Amino acid sequence: MKKHLLVTLLGLFISMTTLQARTLEIDVHGMTCAFCADSLERKFKKMDSVSKVEISLKLKKIRLETRDDAPDIETVKKAILDAGFTPVNVTEVSNEKKKS
Amino acid sequence: MKRKNPRCFTIASLMGLGTLLLASSSLSAMGLRAFVALPVEKGGNVVRFQLLHNNDKDVTQLITSGAYGFNAKQTLLLGLPYRLSPSGKKRLGDASVMFRQMTLQTDTKFGTDRFALLGGAVIPTDSDRDPAIQGGFVYTHFKGRHEIDVDAIYQKGLDKRPDSGRYDLSWQYRLTPAERPDWGIGTELNSVVELGGRWKQGHNTTQQFTVGLQQIHQKWVVEGGITQDLNNDKDLSLLISTRFHF
Repeated sequence: MKKHLLVTLLGLFISMTTLQARTLEIDVHGMTCAFCADSLERKFKKMDSVSKVEISLKLKKIRLETRDDAPDIETVKKAILDAGFTPVNVTEVSNEKKKS
Repeated sequence: MKRKNPRCFTIASLMGLGTLLLASSSLSAMGLRAFVALPVEKGGNVVRFQLLHNNDKDVTQLITSGAYGFNAKQTLLLGLPYRLSPSGKKRLGDASVMFRQMTLQTDTKFGTDRFALLGGAVIPTDSDRDPAIQGGFVYTHFKGRHEIDVDAIYQKGLDKRPDSGRYDLSWQYRLTPAERPDWGIGTELNSVVELGGRWKQGHNTTQQFTVGLQQIHQKWVVEGGITQDLNNDKDLSLLISTRFHF
């Protein structure tokens, strides 16, 4: 009985931590060179709630994986503007929290 | 000192430079000879160390430049030359302090156009030299594999310092990769071709032609080139520099 409860709690814990992952894709205009794009990556990596940053100079996109609902869309846009680029479109590719 | 054949020097230097650049890891957004086009983010810093050797005058200088981004549109630019050889007194050159205000930015999916105004001063590091005030502009056009930077700066000398001016026209072309990866930032190699002009009150304008390479990594750049004075065949300069972003 105890073993069964432990497995259930463990499963619940894992699902709570993974279900809250969110992926955002942002179209960024003006992002042209590798050296310049570094500023963008560093800005997002400083944010506690961002677990992964991927940049595509080819597609002119940034993909952010976040642990929860932060950062909000406005914070994301401001970070891109502060880095010297223009955020165009923010798409929530997945939000496991909403699915659950 | 026996003068080397400029053509042999050019070929040897290009080969050496190419080897150096290819041997190191990954480069951009700015030409070789000016330090005013580089975009700097809010709170961001860029430092460049540039070694410049003039074959005709046999002078080697280390030029240290720095940039700090107050925000995405306002940047502080600093420059300080130091003569490494020949040795002797007064090796420290005049410091340049400049403020850059971006007044136009048009970003698209395929590139960007940016225009900024420059204003500042030249501060002498020696009491027998006079200061100057300086102003100008920089324009950047970036599209696909091409970047073009144009800048012009006029220095109004104070007291006995003569007026001077300069312009730089730089074209950078991404040689590799021809196509960037879908995700991730890799090393890039650019070719650089520049035309520049230097003018000093009481002297003719010197036109200069530069060819070079830039290897761009996400956090640093190594670049180099050869500048030929178009008014004087014997006046050839070799420059190598590196930039760091933090």
